[in-house]
Amino acid sequence: MGILDLTSMGEPQVDVKREIIGQLERLQDEIPEYCYQCAKCTSGCEAHRLLELEPHRIIALLKRGLIDEMVNSDIIWTCMSCFKCWERCPQKIAPVEILFLLKNYAVALGKQIPGNYTAALQSVLSKGLIQDVKTISTRTGETKSRRDVGLPEITKPVDPVKFQALISKMAVEKI
Amino acid sequence: MKKPRIGVFVCHCGINISATVDVEKVKEYAKTLDGVAVSKDYKYMCSDVGANLIKESIKKDKLTSVVVACCSPRMHEHTFQKVASDGGLNPYTVEIANIREQCSWVHDDKKVATEKAKKLVEAAVAKARLLEPLITSSIEVTPNALVIGGGIAGIQAALEIAENGHKVYLVERTPTLGGRMAQLDKTFPTLDCSSCILTPRMTEVADHPNIELLAYSEVEDIKGSIGNFTVKIRKKARFVDADKCTGCGDCAENCRLKGRIIDEFNMGLNKRSAIYLPFPQAVPLIYTIDPNHCLMLTTGRCGKYPLCVEACEADAIDFNQKDEVITVDVGAIVVATGFNLLDPSIIPEYGYTHSPNVITTLEMERLINSAGPTKGEIQLLDTKEKPKSITYILCVGSRDETVCSWCCRIGCMTALKHLYLIREKLPDAEINLCYIDIRSYGKGYEEFYRTARNLNINLFRGRPSEVRPTKEGIIINVFDTITNKLFEIKTDMVVLVPAVTAREDAVELARKLKISTSSDGFYLEGHPKLKPMDTATGGIFLAGFCQGAKDIQDTVAHASGAASRALTILSKKELEAETYIAVVDEELCSGCGICISVCPYQAIELITEDDKKRAKVNEALCMGCGACTAACPSGAMQQRGFKDKEILSMIEVLSK
Repeated sequence: MGILDLTSMGEPQVDVKREIIGQLERLQDEIPEYCYQCAKCTSGCEAHRLLELEPHRIIALLKRGLIDEMVNSDIIWTCMSCFKCWERCPQKIAPVEILFLLKNYAVALGKQIPGNYTAALQSVLSKGLIQDVKTISTRTGETKSRRDVGLPEITKPVDPVKFQALISKMAVEKI
Repeated sequence: MKKPRIGVFVCHCGINISATVDVEKVKEYAKTLDGVAVSKDYKYMCSDVGANLIKESIKKDKLTSVVVACCSPRMHEHTFQKVASDGGLNPYTVEIANIREQCSWVHDDKKVATEKAKKLVEAAVAKARLLEPLITSSIEVTPNALVIGGGIAGIQAALEIAENGHKVYLVERTPTLGGRMAQLDKTFPTLDCSSCILTPRMTEVADHPNIELLAYSEVEDIKGSIGNFTVKIRKKARFVDADKCTGCGDCAENCRLKGRIIDEFNMGLNKRSAIYLPFPQAVPLIYTIDPNHCLMLTTGRCGKYPLCVEACEADAIDFNQKDEVITVDVGAIVVATGFNLLDPSIIPEYGYTHSPNVITTLEMERLINSAGPTKGEIQLLDTKEKPKSITYILCVGSRDETVCSWCCRIGCMTALKHLYLIREKLPDAEINLCYIDIRSYGKGYEEFYRTARNLNINLFRGRPSEVRPTKEGIIINVFDTITNKLFEIKTDMVVLVPAVTAREDAVELARKLKISTSSDGFYLEGHPKLKPMDTATGGIFLAGFCQGAKDIQDTVAHASGAASRALTILSKKELEAETYIAVVDEELCSGCGICISVCPYQAIELITEDDKKRAKVNEALCMGCGACTAACPSGAMQQRGFKDKEILSMIEVLSK
């Protein structure tokens, strides 16, 4: 008994799927099982137009347990972390979080991060942030600064060398 | 006959007519016609202002008849007949010229449309010159009702009518009330136990002083019309004395054929005796002998002696019982005959006949039911083991132009309900569902669908091409359009969700009732939006699935509606008889009797008066269909309101 993807001869990785969904449940209440494939996420995905990311398909493959296919592809690295998918999902699912977990899983398996994305890694190592976000656009279309939403200004690490060492330690020890 | 004074009233219908027809010109033209005393136009003739315009003109201009040039007579003929009546005219001196549906709506060229409108008005005026006032007689109403079908629709309709104080004859073909709902385990989306909510209603029917339950009976023949139907009902012999049978079941326990006859109630998943009760809560609680299998009834002997007779302490078994035909009089009829599931073997690639483990939803329903043949154990039908993997296929034959083009409206929710119930019983089984769309449209349905999505179910959006039973299990290939991948599912049980169809004998009953079926085979309603319970035949109403696919909620609502429609007749002492009936010109009639042979309502008889044979129309039975007037070779048979001379006068104008 079972299911076989005849297109790639891949079989569902039930255990990996269960682990990823378990991690998701710690982050939020709603789980990808509720996805009914309306594709609103992909319709508004910033990474879709240029880089062909399809968040709804990521969820469909996760639900089916076809995870290797995703972690072996560069596509999971194209997410710009704009969080629009999560904010707008009618089933309260967060494709962006699923993509984070898939990226973590890829790294844990020792997969190479695609060259184009190492700049983001450098940014994390030097500032602790992927992007230096100064303003955001809200769901109602307003532009708000960090101060408008009550966030402190971004500061640089006092001791960049020490900071980098700390971040690297965290990455290695998976804290 | 005094000289006619006709009033012509041309309606603009907002711009529906006036945008394409020059209303002013039509009005002016009408003034030139013979017999027209006055011609007026107004924006909305059906409004209060328009109606008053007509009423005042009838009085002021001393009109003898009225022509309204407006929309279809189906829309507003009745409105204007009432206006004429209020104005002091006989309502049947109104003639409608349909210059909307038959003119302005179907033409673009204003000049041509205006000319056509003029002709239509002229033809109506020609007929109006000849119109005679008609008197409508009234007929007494028999205050009883007939309900055909003892499923949840028939039960609901019968109880509603009976509660309103009218006698109801409830005819059910099988030995018990309950219908399809009795076969279900739970109902969606609330998961109420189906028989727990149904059986109290069945008992209410049996106990109701106003309901005469005729189970194991069939309607043989129906005569008459709205207000007064005469119905012949065949009460089939049960070969068991209903008054003596206690329902103990000793007979079935001892039947020589015990466990050898296919049990229809359990969808053939087990075998019963030749004497049987379909299910323990059957109403009435009377055993029935299956005349097609009982050895006594088929061969005349059963071993040395019939064991059931020996077992029955009440001495209830009577092999000499005969069918009994009774006649009842009713004023209205509610048809609630339900539906069938499509036999999936019509789609051979889905393997229904190739593996015992390819079953239908109704079979699964009996497997899940704790009172079913497996006491609620879901098991493979050959090995009796618990299935490790179950795969559902939706829309089997539904939404399929080669089988049934319609949506069954119950399949998605039935399958989701099953997934829920199976997950409770088999927590570790793999459950797959192949669908095209999930249609969860009712109250609480979408919420149920959401719950079902989190039951660890594999959803595949695609229709499998075939179901292939092999030694290693049943193999299904399905292309999932969501992941854009072709999957191979290896499973050990396949549940097909079949299309729904009308009952196999729906057409035969339609013929007896003189009602129509739509292209899908279900009974045709009076209007899809506004008369969903009516039929084209007065006094006959539809309840539930027999009109088209419905779930239980909609069926019950529809049945209450049908009961309410029937009560609009039953609550009256008298009804207006059909006005446009056939009349015989006694001078011309030769008594040939051709009219009798074509009359579908048995409304004509041949009488002898002064040694002369002639036809006589029963005014209460004539429905005004016109068959006799067309068939009459001498022109003696005429239809009131549509006499030959009236119609010919119109043709003369239109063919000028």
